[in-house]
Amino acid sequence: MWATNLRIFGVVLGTLALYTLIANKIPQVQSEVPKALALGANVTPEQLVSAGDQLFHGAGGCTACHGLGTRAPNLLTDEKGQGTIGARCGKREQGKDCKAYLYESLTNPRAYVVQGYEPIMPEMGRTLSPQQLWALVAFLESNGGTVDVTGSDIPAATAAPAGGGAATAPGAAGIAGGSTDPMAIIRGAGCTACHTINGEGGKIGPDLSHVGSRLSQNLIRESILLPDAKTAKGFEKFKGVMPKTFGHQLTGEQLEALVQFLSSHK
Amino acid sequence: MMLSLPLLQAVADSAAYRDFPVIGSRAAVWIAAEIHLMFAAFVLGVPIFAVVAEAIGIFGKDPRYDRLSKEFTRLLLIAYSATAIWGAVFVFFLATLYQPLWAYLTAIFGPSMWVYVGIFFLESFTLYLYYYGWDRWKYGRAKLWHWGLGILLNVWGTTVMFIADSWLTYMMTPPRDITPETSPASIKIWHAILNHTWMPINIHRLIGNVVFGGAIVGAYASYRFLASTTDEERAHYDWMGYVGNFIAMSALIVLPFAGYWLGREIYQYDQSMGITMMGGFMSWLWVIQAFLIAVLFLAGNYYLWVGMGRIPGAERYRPYTKFLLIVLVLGALVWGTPHTMIADSRELAAMGGSHHPLLGALGVMSAKNTAVNLMILATFLSFLLYRRANIRQVVPWAQTGTRIQGAMFIIAAAIVLFFGIRGYFVEAIVRIGYSVYQVGAVLACIVFVTVIDILMARGAQSLGAIQWGKMPARSQYALFILAVTFTWLMGLMGFARSGIRQHWHVWQVMRDNTPYAATPALGYAAIMISTCVLIFLSLVGFIFWLGGLAEKSTFVPSTVEAPHVGH
Repeated sequence: MWATNLRIFGVVLGTLALYTLIANKIPQVQSEVPKALALGANVTPEQLVSAGDQLFHGAGGCTACHGLGTRAPNLLTDEKGQGTIGARCGKREQGKDCKAYLYESLTNPRAYVVQGYEPIMPEMGRTLSPQQLWALVAFLESNGGTVDVTGSDIPAATAAPAGGGAATAPGAAGIAGGSTDPMAIIRGAGCTACHTINGEGGKIGPDLSHVGSRLSQNLIRESILLPDAKTAKGFEKFKGVMPKTFGHQLTGEQLEALVQFLSSHK
Repeated sequence: MMLSLPLLQAVADSAAYRDFPVIGSRAAVWIAAEIHLMFAAFVLGVPIFAVVAEAIGIFGKDPRYDRLSKEFTRLLLIAYSATAIWGAVFVFFLATLYQPLWAYLTAIFGPSMWVYVGIFFLESFTLYLYYYGWDRWKYGRAKLWHWGLGILLNVWGTTVMFIADSWLTYMMTPPRDITPETSPASIKIWHAILNHTWMPINIHRLIGNVVFGGAIVGAYASYRFLASTTDEERAHYDWMGYVGNFIAMSALIVLPFAGYWLGREIYQYDQSMGITMMGGFMSWLWVIQAFLIAVLFLAGNYYLWVGMGRIPGAERYRPYTKFLLIVLVLGALVWGTPHTMIADSRELAAMGGSHHPLLGALGVMSAKNTAVNLMILATFLSFLLYRRANIRQVVPWAQTGTRIQGAMFIIAAAIVLFFGIRGYFVEAIVRIGYSVYQVGAVLACIVFVTVIDILMARGAQSLGAIQWGKMPARSQYALFILAVTFTWLMGLMGFARSGIRQHWHVWQVMRDNTPYAATPALGYAAIMISTCVLIFLSLVGFIFWLGGLAEKSTFVPSTVEAPHVGH
């Protein structure tokens, strides 16, 4: 019986050893934690590009889609004859320079879905800090273009949200450099990519021209902070599209200025 | 009370991570959770197996199934203790090493944890009643009541699993309106429970537990077979091993479909999570999984083919096995072909692109779905040949029936191939839909062919009784390999499910701030999985040994000729 027991033990151990060996022979890829960046006002473009390079090829997870040619546009190599991302980013949206376009593509990727691709990219502001986002912008610009991200673009590091979540705000200064001009906030936050107001903007989200006659100030505030809490009739299929990050991105003054401005549009 | 509230708040605020000596907190929690889950799968899968076996015993009037059911319920008693012990170890580790996460989860799911404990209590006492009442409630109406207890045991067990699943699926796919700023106390419990992957995981685990239970039953039977000293014992445990393997393989055939559903839900919840799982840093995991599945299919079929040696009349079908082997090997090779891999620029340059120029075409979902569906069809054909090996059908339409069965196989294979090839020429979203047609064709073939086969076997002429016990020892080692592989696969898939959260305790809501937040590579994971499997199987071996001490032999001499499962 001992011989049988030993044989069974041998079969079990041999099988386990085989599986362990195979799993150790294949390429070993670890999912890294995005490292917090301490990039101050005097950061050089080289430092930004280097940090962005590491993020792009590592913890940012960008290479899971970009560069394969099927899931997402190529960024570091030519995309359908338009060149690399640094060469083409400034031409993608009229009136929007490369830096603004790339930053918005990272924080609100559904605003500019390249034709022929599905809107699968996650909002990187949920997982990367503002410093990391700007480093990525610099790295992408460096691929065929000119790096114009500077230390002044990068806000001071923000505290991690409750629960240990990643910092998501582009900075304590708020959108549009902390301006309380409602239209500057609206443009800076990219609202007009989906909403129409004062005759400008898209039609993916509800028209805000007369939003004050439909919603109370409280509901407008809630719609900005928790966009999926209530969905406007006829726009159900777009539920989930509006970023949920404005609570971090806007300062208190900006939020109230925006609420007052929108509620006055009756 | 007024004084104690600030104190409690202070305690909550000071919640922090701690480390575990030598192996670290992640490894400690990993081992405790994994072994608890393995025992839990055993104690949830075996009752399903036991209650079905008891029903066959009652309604088929075959006492061997009743004894089989009782034999495994006895093992459950000890396994329950092991499950509870490892569950307690897991909870204590979590509460002491990962305090912030524990505090967060209990704030949301506290009431469901109380219900969980209550139902576990009921489940334990139902099990005691079920086992200790076996001989008392053995005949007539009382036996049916006893069977009802078995069903009740499964209801409690399934409910307990569903509750625990809600906690882990919430960590994977929390509802999208929950953000890092959402206070856990403000989250409604049903909102958290009804998350994207809760029901797919429930169903996947339910089926997986049956597979696992069957595999462990098969390993137990093979151990007892090899240790048997009499022909009667050998015959009994040979038969038991066959039943265990039959159940494991039958449920395994359905499992990938539940897996597709789960994968689809993950993609619908968050495309990036799905891509991380299938094409990101975890892409190599699926190559390992394909290898394991190939081992399962090959070992399961090998056991059946060897088993045909003890069935008079089976020699008619032996020439076909080599063709089945070819289909299985080719299918396994295609399924194991990598496609989208994390690769650096040098590797991409060496490969000449993001995909291999030749093999890349075999690595896509169209080819893989086609391969696995054909492997399932081949395995089903093996079962069918085994089933009808020692009978000659006497119904007048037997020949027509066999032709219809053959046509069904051909049509199902043609549908699988057609959509597999067409999948290369359509958009991804259309291609994903094709897998439904492929699966539908295979399932329809399995159902209709089985129904025809049962009808055709009515009054069939026997070519001789199955000579239970006349199996070479190598067939029994195949059952061991099956059990080890199923257990390892469970560990691997657990790593995949948990690992796709990456450095998040709760995906994009609560970050893992421990030094172990990075998700390890497959090599480290494999060492952890093998360690857990070894500990688990050693403990199961001990339980089997205890079971042998309690009742030296439970075999019942056969009174029914050549039984097949399903007859």
